[in-house]
Amino acid sequence: MINLLFSAASNSPITHAGKAIGLALGVGLGALGAGVGIGNIFGSMIQSVARQPELRGELQGIQWLGFALTEAVVFYGLLGSILAYVLV
Amino acid sequence: MMRRALALATTVALVAPSAAFARGSFDPTKEFEQHEWVPIHLGPLNLSITKAVAYLMLGSVLTILFGIFFMRSKAARVPGRRETLGELAYEVAQTQIAEQGLPSKAMSRWFPYCASLLLFIFVVNLIGFIPLPLTGETWHGVPTWGIYAATSSISVTLALALLTFVFTHVEGVRWNGPVRYFKSWIPEAPAGLLILIVPLEVLGQFMRLISLSVRLFANMLAGHILILTFLGLMFILQSVVLAVLVVPVGILFYLFEVIIVVGIQAFIFAALSAIYIGSAIEPEH
Repeated sequence: MINLLFSAASNSPITHAGKAIGLALGVGLGALGAGVGIGNIFGSMIQSVARQPELRGELQGIQWLGFALTEAVVFYGLLGSILAYVLV
Repeated sequence: MMRRALALATTVALVAPSAAFARGSFDPTKEFEQHEWVPIHLGPLNLSITKAVAYLMLGSVLTILFGIFFMRSKAARVPGRRETLGELAYEVAQTQIAEQGLPSKAMSRWFPYCASLLLFIFVVNLIGFIPLPLTGETWHGVPTWGIYAATSSISVTLALALLTFVFTHVEGVRWNGPVRYFKSWIPEAPAGLLILIVPLEVLGQFMRLISLSVRLFANMLAGHILILTFLGLMFILQSVVLAVLVVPVGILFYLFEVIIVVGIQAFIFAALSAIYIGSAIEPEH
């Protein structure tokens, strides 16, 4: 079985399926992590503004910074999986 | 009633194309290919004018015009709507970006750089979402209109990130001297751990380059591919009825990109540049 997998030509249906699964898994897991992170950021933002509404302006800059840093995680996943899809 | 009609149309759209499930010849990644419009080759350098270069030129001209129109012209100095917009851009650049990252002694030198990064990336991102006749294709002799952003090419964002990377280390050495600057990379830790930590710190400096460029590039690329793929589903599944479902979703993503992503990414790039340069000028210990 393992022999069959490794000796398969790179354009066999199994390779295609594996590539597609890899691409979807990479993006999906990246989005999962970023979803948790972005939820955390906005949740904490809401809590902080509810406690100290006068700090809203200052917090907003930090919030968007954190949002963009976290959101980029999806794109690292996307980029990695696209690389895997194209190169393998 | 309206909702029921929409649900019916969606169902029809999802069922109808199954008969004609042939794959159309639409490939969204083709939109991002670069063709040499004006070939310029200097030895090993390829300085040809491509789609991305045309968009960059347009972006630079528009950024300069923005500055002249909203900040430098005589009419922009009398209080009014024009002055307000110019001052808003300036205030964001000053209070949200420069003052967060740069120490006050380096403000006068590096504020212009961070502010122009903000404006330039914002303008280039924004014209990427305005349909322009710059696709390089023609339909019966008329240029076709399409959306494309120069920042969705890694070469553009990597060049911008390299600027920040070089400035960071040049400024770090200039203000602190080479010995003190590179010593500031080494944190206080037991000698055994330092062997592990120092390579990570050095690697981290180069990871900044990657994260800075890939964040902007992948955001813009993914945004464009998302919109193009959703509209392209009509051509891939070859069904016009699908437009009922696909066009509103495409418009939703378009609005999300234009309202949130375009501004945020320009802001983040400029803010991180300011933080990196500032932290090199004043190392924490």
